[in-house]
Amino acid sequence: MLTQVLLIAAMSSALYMLLALGFTLIFGILRIVNFAHGEFVMIGAYAVFALTSGLGLGYAAALPLAALLAGGLGLLAERALFRRYAGDELGGMIMSLALAITLQGAAAVLFTIDQQSVERPVTGVLRIGDAVLPKDQLFVAGFALAAVAAFHLLVQRTRFGLALRAVAQDPETLRLQGVSPRRLYPAAFGIGCLLAGLAGALTAPLYTIHPYMGETAILKAFIVVVLGGLGSVPGAIAASVLLGVTEAAVSTWLGVTAATLTSFVAVMAILLVKPTGLGGRA
Amino acid sequence: MLKVLRLARRLAVGGVIVAGALSGPALAAETLKIGVVGGLTGPGAAWGLAIDAGAKIAAAEINAKGGLSIGGKPHTVEVVSYDDQYKAASAVTAVNRLIDQDEVKFILGPIGSASLLAIKPITERNKVILLSNTYTAKALENTGYVFRVLPTTQEYNASFIDWLKTNRPAIRSVALLSPNDETGWNSQKVQTEAYGKAGFTIAAAELFERQQTDFRAVLTRILASKPDAIELDTTPPPTAGLVVRQARELGFSGQFTKFGGVNVAEIVKGAGAENAEGMLGYFAADPDSKEWAWLQTEYAKHHPNEMSDFTFFFYDAAKLLLAAIGRAGTATDTDAVRAQIEQGAPFDTLLGKAFWGGKAAYGIDHQLVTPSFLGEIQKGKGKVIARLAAQ
Repeated sequence: MLTQVLLIAAMSSALYMLLALGFTLIFGILRIVNFAHGEFVMIGAYAVFALTSGLGLGYAAALPLAALLAGGLGLLAERALFRRYAGDELGGMIMSLALAITLQGAAAVLFTIDQQSVERPVTGVLRIGDAVLPKDQLFVAGFALAAVAAFHLLVQRTRFGLALRAVAQDPETLRLQGVSPRRLYPAAFGIGCLLAGLAGALTAPLYTIHPYMGETAILKAFIVVVLGGLGSVPGAIAASVLLGVTEAAVSTWLGVTAATLTSFVAVMAILLVKPTGLGGRA
Repeated sequence: MLKVLRLARRLAVGGVIVAGALSGPALAAETLKIGVVGGLTGPGAAWGLAIDAGAKIAAAEINAKGGLSIGGKPHTVEVVSYDDQYKAASAVTAVNRLIDQDEVKFILGPIGSASLLAIKPITERNKVILLSNTYTAKALENTGYVFRVLPTTQEYNASFIDWLKTNRPAIRSVALLSPNDETGWNSQKVQTEAYGKAGFTIAAAELFERQQTDFRAVLTRILASKPDAIELDTTPPPTAGLVVRQARELGFSGQFTKFGGVNVAEIVKGAGAENAEGMLGYFAADPDSKEWAWLQTEYAKHHPNEMSDFTFFFYDAAKLLLAAIGRAGTATDTDAVRAQIEQGAPFDTLLGKAFWGGKAAYGIDHQLVTPSFLGEIQKGKGKVIARLAAQ
């Protein structure tokens, strides 16, 4: 049973990382708590559904297109809705809530409230001793980890990443160097939404799709990001692992109710000891 | 000058005729408002829309015949619906608005047990009749104006479990999985007692959170108890589909039962037809019947999504309510209407004869008892394999 628990923990952690990364990026750069993040996950999932079921594209082609579509819509949202709220946490939060409700309503009108499913690109299971590892979950976790690694390289090894880190750390100093933070905001928001869309597109074949699926995604992303520290990418990664392992272990041995309770107690305990979260800055 | 006067007179007469024609129906018929409270958006929306559509189909039917006659006056039936998003707080807001602003005396819904328990004190205090469906036994405790218009597991699962014992003798142990809320706590308690009474071993009894999509951890726990069958109880059908698929992937090859209600299309979407094959469950109606085909056509006039079988109950509930109001001859004296609802049984419903019961279990005969259907998922479709009479 221990192997099974570890496998479940690893799969969940990888997915939580992907969900939380875009959310924390947007907060780190724009100081906007994007409550519509879950709806960009939903957009990615519906895009894959529409591209595969509607246009007959293969999943391999639909996956990047869906992520790009979510990223593109995120970029547009930043230009049209969030630009004026950069740095205004309350205003941005209210705008993001309004956007979330609007996107849910739009999806319900376009696709109805019926659940939809996407055919799985990978099927079957791997057996490791007594434990079972579904190949579709392994594919999602592997892809998620690759996306996290690519994001890490982008932020740490490129000039663009350097600019992103600079704007997150001190936008005023960056402006003194001749770089306008406002030029980076659309890209940061777009990348955040692209990661959300990728998470939705990846998980669409694992679960069913419906207009309100973003609510679950934002809940998980929010716990991870609060635990890891708002705006901190390494913190979000550490928190994803912590949450994944805690949930898998406690759910298996003590039940789901105890697991939910433990997640929130862990958030409270860490915030009491370190109010900025595991990797957050004051 | 005379011509001008004649023209003016003709215009005046014509104006009166046109005005009369336009305002005719409004003057001829007063309006009877019926409230609906249910999740019209969010994860429970399929059920909430079933209440809304059921009420609207019944209202449209009676309006097409000239309206409902109350005390000799024709009334146009208007349905006023509010979304409770399956949340107790929103249900309270919706009911307060229906009672205080819309001056509604009759409400259909809600579905969620927590919603019903939150609004019941308000509707009882205001003598508002509530035709509801929630699985909690507390729904009908200490109540005068609440009627439950859908049978719960309490009403039918003993027959289903007896059938299982007789027809699937290899099944001896059952694991239960239910939502972690008032609905799930109550239904799991009822299922545990019924399976235990029939001689089954309860291998495990687990709860899950409604927003959950990954069940591998809880299934690992369940499968460790080696059950012959997994009873999915009141797990929402889309969620049940995910559970089935994940359990099959983890190697479970036993029987799935879902005696808390089945929506075949949603389960198959989540599970895949192959994984859902052979699942046994409670069907509210026969998907191959002409009644189902007719109601589905009517439902499509109101909502574009797939019809939930709950529509049957709320269509029939709205009809029996309107008939009772008509017989009582009043839309304001809810005591008189309540008496007519109670005395109107047995009712002709789309499902067959139905009547009030529940005195022994809940202390009041406000539980609608209808025929029930035991169904099986075969090649992705629902097939009724036994029809059990109302009892």
